[in-house]
Amino acid sequence: MIKLKNISKIYKTKTVETLALNSVSINIEEGEFLSIMGPSGCGKSTLLNIMGLIDEPSNGDLSIGGYSIDDYNGKSIAKFRNEHLGFIFQSFHLINDLSVVDNVELPLLYRKVSSKVRRQMAEEALVKVGLKNRMKHFPSQLSGGQKQRVAIARAIVGKPNIILADEPTGNLDSVMGNEIMDILLGLNEEEKTTIVMVTHDEQMAKKTNRLIRLFDGSQVV
Amino acid sequence: MLKNYFKLAIKVLGRRKFFTFISLFGISFTLMILMLATAFFESEMGNNPPLSQKDQMIFVSRLSLSREFQDTTALIDSNLIDNVMTYDTTYSYEPAGRSMSRSSPSYSFLNDHLSDLPFVENKTFYKDGSSYDIFINGNKINFSAVYSDANFWEIHNFKFIAGKSFGQSEVDNQEQVAVISRKASLEYFGHTDNVLGEEIILDGKHFKVIGLIESGTASMSHINSKVYLPLTHVPASEIKDKGYLGGFEAVFLANNKENAIKLKDEINLKEKKIPLPADNSNDFNIINIEPMTFMEGYARSIVPSEKPEESLTTFFGIISFFLILFFLLPTLNLINLNVSRIMERSSEIGVRKAFGASSKTILFQFVFENIILTIIGGLIGFTLAVILIYVINDSQILEDTILNFNLKVFIYSLLICLFFGILSGLIPAWRMSKVHIVNALKQNSL
Repeated sequence: MIKLKNISKIYKTKTVETLALNSVSINIEEGEFLSIMGPSGCGKSTLLNIMGLIDEPSNGDLSIGGYSIDDYNGKSIAKFRNEHLGFIFQSFHLINDLSVVDNVELPLLYRKVSSKVRRQMAEEALVKVGLKNRMKHFPSQLSGGQKQRVAIARAIVGKPNIILADEPTGNLDSVMGNEIMDILLGLNEEEKTTIVMVTHDEQMAKKTNRLIRLFDGSQVV
Repeated sequence: MLKNYFKLAIKVLGRRKFFTFISLFGISFTLMILMLATAFFESEMGNNPPLSQKDQMIFVSRLSLSREFQDTTALIDSNLIDNVMTYDTTYSYEPAGRSMSRSSPSYSFLNDHLSDLPFVENKTFYKDGSSYDIFINGNKINFSAVYSDANFWEIHNFKFIAGKSFGQSEVDNQEQVAVISRKASLEYFGHTDNVLGEEIILDGKHFKVIGLIESGTASMSHINSKVYLPLTHVPASEIKDKGYLGGFEAVFLANNKENAIKLKDEINLKEKKIPLPADNSNDFNIINIEPMTFMEGYARSIVPSEKPEESLTTFFGIISFFLILFFLLPTLNLINLNVSRIMERSSEIGVRKAFGASSKTILFQFVFENIILTIIGGLIGFTLAVILIYVINDSQILEDTILNFNLKVFIYSLLICLFFGILSGLIPAWRMSKVHIVNALKQNSL
């Protein structure tokens, strides 16, 4: 599903070059739930951003679903992200001025979907994460776990093949963290959604199909 | 999508109350002033009665007779060479001064020299500038008067509240009839109802009111006079006076807009063919008629200069300068405010882009939000302008100039609104739409 071959990422300033990723090669199968672990600053999020097409590798090849990313330009990459990828962030990144349902609808705004269908799809996604009764609430009225569930609903509303989760339980206590993990596992099992998750939590990582460890930008396991 | 943007725009405006107040105040105040300015210019320069045909009109209200005299001047240059002083004297014969007499032309000058011009569809000669003091119930009021021919009413389409103008026969028969303005009626009779047939007394003469008109909106005295009388009531001596300078003015109506300028050129050419006045005790050797279009005349009344064309250029230069300044300051202020406002929402931009929004979509969203803001500001400004126009008209601060709020002014204002919205939102939105997603997502505030 996702193929990374010799992916490197170098951050350059006028005086310093920092190697964030050093020739990482990973092959992620369709329907797999992969977790990436490693100490802070080892390049986990950078790797996830590259898979999510929101950052570019300095070197190496990346293909998703058999298509090489080199074949896409800015506009078509945006369309690709919209149709195939869903993101979950550690700090939720919900828009505070929009209601829960409006936040969930956001990815569908960039598709040719009528407002009625959009609302219907957003409601279905909220049902899946158990937040149908919080539709009209605003993010500030929700707990951390509920916010992350809204973020998951937003990630799955467009029915993407791949979900990229950057420390989705990082800001939550263990009970809420487990709730979120259960939802992700359910999505992976029932919908066969490919999930790549960056985490610091060994217990969470053990629940996934495969674990990859990074250290100083290199894959160690 | 637009509904979503609209909801968000309203939310953002409500969340940042101080920013919204500053923005709305800036937009609404600027727009109010611009709407007032456009209403004023529309009133002054639009094709409004009685100058609906102003684009075809050429005004002759000034004539100058001048004498340029030349004199010999000597320039002595001294040089000390080998203890010998040498003198070099250069004589030159050049213009040394000018004497001039300038006034409005006489009736006979207009009639004798400007009656047979090409491109003319109609013309009127009239005397402006007369005024009479009238005492009513012990109060002194001043009546300005215009003496006109019958053509005056064909060229100027005054709005008649009641009655009609005087025609050729009334002028020829020197009938004691008058057309008065609404203001004159209010001052003289205290009302405007049933004044036709009533008499007004000017300088001991009784005139029957046959017409009641609305004054012109432009600041030109001949269309804002309180009373209009047949030309033949001007003393015969003034009509017959063969001197070139007098108290008369003329309006020539060209047969179409394009020919108005040709007509003006014809008048300028004509001045070279006109013989010097018979009584030329001042030895004048130059005749300058000074024909003007409406705009040149208007500009000259504000920015006086020797040539009306120069006045017009200077006038438009000044207007453009102030307009740019007036637009630029609030726009720069809004751009600045918008930059900080949009910067605060960078992580929202990051999320939107991550979920598939293109840079163009982001740009459109922020410009749309700004348009919403400026339209709200525009509506407030519009309301304030309507109130202010009512107050200005009611208090008669601008005397005879009546400001109207018409469709054209509304469209100008709406365009100004959109211009503001797009310009002040475009630059910051464009900058932010280019921000890299990863960097945008690092900002946590949404």
